[in-house]
Amino acid sequence: MAKTDKKYGAELSQREAEEIREAMKRASTRLMDEYITRMRRAWPNRPDVMQYFDDIAMLYGTRERELLEAKEEGRKIVGYTCMFAPIELILAAGAIPVRVACGIYDAVKLGNRIVPVEVCPVVRSTIGIGMVGLSPFLELSDALITALTCDGMTKLSEILSDKKPVWTLCPPRLKDSPQSTQFWREELKAVKAKLEKLTGTRITAKRLKSAIETMHRATRAFKRLQEIRRNIPSVIMGRDAMLVNQTVMWDDIERWTAKTEELCLELEKRVREKVWACQPDTPRVMLAGSPAIWPDNWKLPNIVEEASPQGVIVADEFCFGDRFLYDPVGVDEWTMDDMFNAVSERYLLPSTCPYFTSEDGNEDRINWLTAMIKERRVDGVIYHVFRGCMLYAMEYMRIKRALDRINVPIYYLDTDYTREDVGQIKTRVEAFLEMLKSRVEL
Amino acid sequence: MWLQILSEILKLTVFAGLTLAGILVIIIWKRDLKTKVTYMRFLVQAAAMVAFYLLFSYTTELLFVLVVIFLLSIFWGRFFCGWLCPFGFYMDLVAALRKTLKIRYWNLQDGLNKILDKFRYALLALFVFLPFMLGEIEPWQWPLAKFLAGPFKPISVLLSPVEPLVIPWESTIKVYGVNLSYPYASVIAFYSGESYALLCISIFVALTLASSFVVRRFWCRFCPTGASFSVLNRFKPFRWIPLLRLNKVEEKCTKCGICKRVCPAQVTDVYEQKGGDIKTSMCMLCLRCVELCPYEDCLRLNLAGKTIFKSRNWLEPSKIE
Amino acid sequence: MTVVAGIDMGVQNIKVVLLRDGEILSHGLAPSGFEPEKAARQALQEALEKARISLSDIKHVAATGVGVELAPMVNSKVSIVSADAMAAVYLFPSARTVIDVGAEESRVIRCDGKGNVLDFALNERCAAGAGAFLEAMARALEVRLEEMGELSLKAKGTASISATCVIFGESDVVSLIHKQEPKYEIARAIYDALAERIASMIHRVGLEPDVMLVGGVARDVGFTTALKRKLETEILIPKYPELAGALGAALCAMERVGGSRR
Repeated sequence: MAKTDKKYGAELSQREAEEIREAMKRASTRLMDEYITRMRRAWPNRPDVMQYFDDIAMLYGTRERELLEAKEEGRKIVGYTCMFAPIELILAAGAIPVRVACGIYDAVKLGNRIVPVEVCPVVRSTIGIGMVGLSPFLELSDALITALTCDGMTKLSEILSDKKPVWTLCPPRLKDSPQSTQFWREELKAVKAKLEKLTGTRITAKRLKSAIETMHRATRAFKRLQEIRRNIPSVIMGRDAMLVNQTVMWDDIERWTAKTEELCLELEKRVREKVWACQPDTPRVMLAGSPAIWPDNWKLPNIVEEASPQGVIVADEFCFGDRFLYDPVGVDEWTMDDMFNAVSERYLLPSTCPYFTSEDGNEDRINWLTAMIKERRVDGVIYHVFRGCMLYAMEYMRIKRALDRINVPIYYLDTDYTREDVGQIKTRVEAFLEMLKSRVEL
Repeated sequence: MWLQILSEILKLTVFAGLTLAGILVIIIWKRDLKTKVTYMRFLVQAAAMVAFYLLFSYTTELLFVLVVIFLLSIFWGRFFCGWLCPFGFYMDLVAALRKTLKIRYWNLQDGLNKILDKFRYALLALFVFLPFMLGEIEPWQWPLAKFLAGPFKPISVLLSPVEPLVIPWESTIKVYGVNLSYPYASVIAFYSGESYALLCISIFVALTLASSFVVRRFWCRFCPTGASFSVLNRFKPFRWIPLLRLNKVEEKCTKCGICKRVCPAQVTDVYEQKGGDIKTSMCMLCLRCVELCPYEDCLRLNLAGKTIFKSRNWLEPSKIE
Repeated sequence: MTVVAGIDMGVQNIKVVLLRDGEILSHGLAPSGFEPEKAARQALQEALEKARISLSDIKHVAATGVGVELAPMVNSKVSIVSADAMAAVYLFPSARTVIDVGAEESRVIRCDGKGNVLDFALNERCAAGAGAFLEAMARALEVRLEEMGELSLKAKGTASISATCVIFGESDVVSLIHKQEPKYEIARAIYDALAERIASMIHRVGLEPDVMLVGGVARDVGFTTALKRKLETEILIPKYPELAGALGAALCAMERVGGSRR
């Protein structure tokens, strides 16, 4: 057997792939349209600037065109599956970073041909879109940076390597020790070298500084928006904030920053003028656990914000959401060495991914959740777990006990990449929201 | 004579006023939150250096100021080291030069750092007792010098970091008639004898400047004077005395490690300890960790329990309460 | 005189309870079948006839239950979880943990003295933790569901079956039959399995006395015995346990028209 043979055979004949792709693309576009319309309807005075984010959220539109143009100009596109990928290094090398995780339910059916149904649905659907070429971001990537975190991500990395050059990053499970930070730095140095080779651009101190500052500006805009979400009553509905948070992962970062600042300006005005997005007594919900990736995973947020009683999502714990831009790179001296250390440590140390453990109590995630609950005045937490997601599922008991101590209700909701359980989820979410509402009234 | 003292006090007051004005200018004009406190500290260090020089020109009676400063250290621990010590200022100047040249620093290995931390108390003990064993030297001319070289020689070691670059009495190093000195120069001159004094002093100057170019605040990691201030924080029965403390709100800490990385003294206590008052004896309260902590109100500087400075989102501070 | 109605759109049966000035007036029941809306009207009619009043006398109609979307003439909706909690405290003021085992879905609810929900858990996805499990097992055992409860009381508990899934449970029953295990032992094993599932749900929210059991399955003496044995505590059971949801909805309706719950 030749070494170049595909390991997993995650591909279809061109004809079949094209057929399925076109059908899925149509269905997906319809669904995205529908969800955006529902968001518009649920928030009558939705700011106009949100239309920009709607446009970027339409995965097969503007952004796909822009990336194609960029490729023609000779720019390289680097995809990444996980939050551990160093965006600053990608930008410093002159490449365009795009996140490549799949949020499309139908793609799961294709992934089921390659891996069993017990596997995490995010992984199965990513395999699926790879098989039919449905994701413009995956297709246009010149290389993929993957993180070998949970089992699913690790094997997905292997499967995707049949399709694209994959550069793996292995975060150490114990991030506290000095050997861990040392090891992680070496991992990033390896990726840095590969980036430089791919783009033909050396990552100099000047370029890295510029990239760090770009991300600083994006983080500042993000934090400004999160500040606004602290307000009671809410001036922005949760689904819209989630959309803004997620679009940064495939949008042009500078442009996203500018538009987010514009949105914040408008929302800050509304705070002053008391133009609320929902009633003051709406229960404030936080989503924690497996990330709800746009578009199909709006299933749960839709239910929460269209239920009766209505809830508003004021925070989430998703690595594909509020966690993505949460931690800034803290540079002390703008030397190449310190900048690189700062970037390296930023991606490893403050991460609250349940992939990590610690000999010292492993409280990072608990602390983050507790601080966020207090900051955003969260009334209740919905713990969203995909079937097959071992890490989040196992940490539930720990989180529950910690939240019981601060008297915050938490509800375990397990689901999959399917629309069949919408009815069941609705029952549970509405019961939970009713419970929160009566607590709020007490 | 009282008139003279009064005029000197007036000069000092004007000087202090100018320094305060400078600090205010920085607070108002410096936009970048990541370096505001650092600039302020720089200014205070420069002012302190000038102040010490002026003090050394006075008569012995005004030296009580020095005594006061050292006694205050009972309450503010190594704050002196971070904000007032001229030797520290020279090291920070060298670091500033290094930063301008975009040269990286080197960290001491964790193991070595911990050994130095314990070792400095031994060094302190040595310097306190050694002079008693080596006997008297020729008394110098000024009463001030007599004060320094008198029977209390440990004081000369403990006061050495404060020794100005230009001294008003006879020195081993003379350039164009100006008497130059350097922290610890007089002590080295004493211990190395007449013929080798200049050589030893030169080696010492070169070593300290070069090492602090490579390792941040190198001398501070085993400075006997610093150790004497740390004693109260190091030993449990005395820990309640210092009023200036660093404090951490555990929930807000994301363990991002920025405080550990930016600390010039490589203090890991702020990173490692869970919430509450940070128990550390090496920390010089330079506040770099608090300044660069990116999370709102995570690290704080407390004076007698009250927060006088806290970390903020230096990308843009919070507007909402 | 304020009359309100509560409708529980259950999967198998629609239940209706009428309250007058906070006191139970009458009730009605009809199987949902293929036309739940029609069944709801039927049950409502039955209740009205028993109470000798007409539809126009009802000030407010609240609906709950799995099929709540299909309820007719509804003024407001409430979740079955909240309804159960309100009904529990109304019937037994000391009730703090409410177990509702319905046909397809079961719930455990912890509430406070006022009937506010503190925490709750539902059986996950599958009907193995509800009445449907008993129906399927009765079929496999070839006894009538109504008789299986009495039958199980004779047993000592020598057999056990898995409670993970109805399909696995069925195959366990068949293999026990082949092993010549007496029918009453298998019957008890079936109830023990269901009680085990309910008990693990209780563990998720915590058990606080007094414990109350509602839902149609509460009429089954085999199940109540097994559950009491498993939880090692007394269990309060109302006279009409299947009406709890509808009663809770009616109490909610009471609140909406401005009355208090008691």
